[in-house]
Amino acid sequence: MGAFFSNLPQYLVNGIGSSCVYILMAMGFSLVYSSTGIINFAQGEFAAISALVAYTLSMDLGLPLLLAVAGALALTGFVGLLLERAVIRPLQGKGTLTAIIATIGASIFLKAGARIIWPEEAYKVPEFTQGQLNLPKASFNAQLLWMLGLTAFTVAAMYLLMNGTKLGKGLRACAINPEAARLVGIDVSLMSMAAFAIAALLGGLAGLVSAPFANYGMGLYLGIKGFTAAVIGGLGDVYGAVLGGITVGLLEEVVAGFLSVVLGVSSGYKDAVAVILLISVLLFRPQGLVGKGLVEKV
Amino acid sequence: MVKRGFLATRGIARRVWRNYKAFLLFSPFVLLLPLWAEPLGRSISLNIVYLMRMVGIFTLTAVGLNLLMGYAGQASLGHGAFMGIGAYVSAILSTRWGWPAWAGILLGTLLAAFVGYLLAPILRLRGHYLAMATLGVGIAAFIFFREMTGLTGGNVGIREIPKLNLFGLEISSKKAEFYFVWLLVILVLLLCQNLVRSRVGRAIRAFHQSEVAARIMGVDVASYKMKVFMLSAALGGLAGGIYSHLQGYINPSQFSVMLSIQLVVMVVVGGMESIWGSVAGASLVVFLPSLVEALPKWMGNVPAWVRQYSNYEGLVFGAILVLTMIFLPKGITTSTVEFYRRKTRKAAELMGEEEPVSIPEEEVRNGK
Repeated sequence: MGAFFSNLPQYLVNGIGSSCVYILMAMGFSLVYSSTGIINFAQGEFAAISALVAYTLSMDLGLPLLLAVAGALALTGFVGLLLERAVIRPLQGKGTLTAIIATIGASIFLKAGARIIWPEEAYKVPEFTQGQLNLPKASFNAQLLWMLGLTAFTVAAMYLLMNGTKLGKGLRACAINPEAARLVGIDVSLMSMAAFAIAALLGGLAGLVSAPFANYGMGLYLGIKGFTAAVIGGLGDVYGAVLGGITVGLLEEVVAGFLSVVLGVSSGYKDAVAVILLISVLLFRPQGLVGKGLVEKV
Repeated sequence: MVKRGFLATRGIARRVWRNYKAFLLFSPFVLLLPLWAEPLGRSISLNIVYLMRMVGIFTLTAVGLNLLMGYAGQASLGHGAFMGIGAYVSAILSTRWGWPAWAGILLGTLLAAFVGYLLAPILRLRGHYLAMATLGVGIAAFIFFREMTGLTGGNVGIREIPKLNLFGLEISSKKAEFYFVWLLVILVLLLCQNLVRSRVGRAIRAFHQSEVAARIMGVDVASYKMKVFMLSAALGGLAGGIYSHLQGYINPSQFSVMLSIQLVVMVVVGGMESIWGSVAGASLVVFLPSLVEALPKWMGNVPAWVRQYSNYEGLVFGAILVLTMIFLPKGITTSTVEFYRRKTRKAAELMGEEEPVSIPEEEVRNGK
């Protein structure tokens, strides 16, 4: 037990790092869900693609990191647009199950495509800043500061986008009632495209900051954990995503640490923490910890 | 007047034919299959009998999943977990404690059903939530298979699982395994077909349409959902148990999320709300990779990328899923049947006949 408590600060620091990634993922899920009513099962793939593209651009092609990151994000955003056009658009109004299966198909397709281009088990994506910083009882990579900064910046940007711009108002209008939005002259189809593109950018950013290692399969766990965070935050609420991301990130590290240090269980169970959390939250508080409650229309 | 003697038998025969046409055509086809498939398979270097065993195994699971997803409308993206439970239970019991295979398979089936019972509360969820929760179940099961090393052997898995034997009768040749699996499959298909045509079947299709309406009509939706889920879990466990004995070794990667997705592909591409669709879907998923692998042997030189098909498998399955959803949202069999039905109806209209009144039983028989 003593060992667990002396490690606790380190778990929390690690947890803050993963929190940032899950916050970004969760915002992507929420944005798409609230403006189109679809859970995009391929959201995790955005993260994988962007991290791997960044690897290729910076390591293979030798571009400066900033350019590589910009290029990776641009390409991921484009994939998001393509996904919306090719898969979501043709299936509009065909029901939930259809949309779920189609986005799963897209996710398998993207994953398999990524595996052909990047077959290795792990690619070392360059960190924005190298080096390690030490606190009294914990240490962390300098990358963590970038993660915190970028996540805070993105959350603020999303807040401004959703509340201060015409685009954000359009997206929110679609979330409330697509029919009414169309009646007042909002291009619902364009909003759906915008939602997917922005979600792809958010997922891509999550992939970039979740470095140092990336592979084609990383999207599955990032996706399900990001979704867990989104659900905890009351799906559809961009700010709830922050709360959800922090909850998942911290709990995961602390519980995994507790299991391995105190109970002596394999740390391989770490990934199960988020999954079990997801199922419990869905069962006992499906409206999220801060959500207002679901009203189901018959 | 009650028909007697010959007339009565003819009446029964006609009714059996009408209700079980597909079975009466399909069973002889499958049971005679080894006769022609073995020589044919040798000549095209494709071990058809061997692959058909796997089709049978996956059909067992897929038909259960189809009851749940196709008929009852409840998505499950974690059904591989039940196959895994059945496989591990039977493998552990037979390798560690020397249980006979049939007992292990039986216990695995029951345990899978029991886990289904424990998980039943997640069926309260709908749509995306249910899909994500079941995906989570699949992921959690995979992690447990991998991490409970004392029980499951971790990543190494379990090796040297004994062959099937039924009460002392050894089932070890591929052909014997084929017959065993397919007799079971036909039995299960018959059971499922009767189930969906029964009162229970009508109830589950009713709440697929509208839960509220079904409840108003007196259907106990929660209870039916749980029962269908348990049945489909049990079928998964059964299939998994047999699979472990046919395969001889198991490891967690065989029961990963990919398996669950493949099962969904079988149901969705084969045909939702169709017993026979599951057979079609399982055949597609099993035969497609082997067919592509056999291509070089037929055509001599094929492009290099065909040779490395296993790398592209995900691309193909992903594309199939998306395209099926866009163009044949009800899957191959159901969409084909509906297409023909529309055509005949149109022809009937042109002939000036009345549109045939659809009786429920007619509608259910949409398999073939």
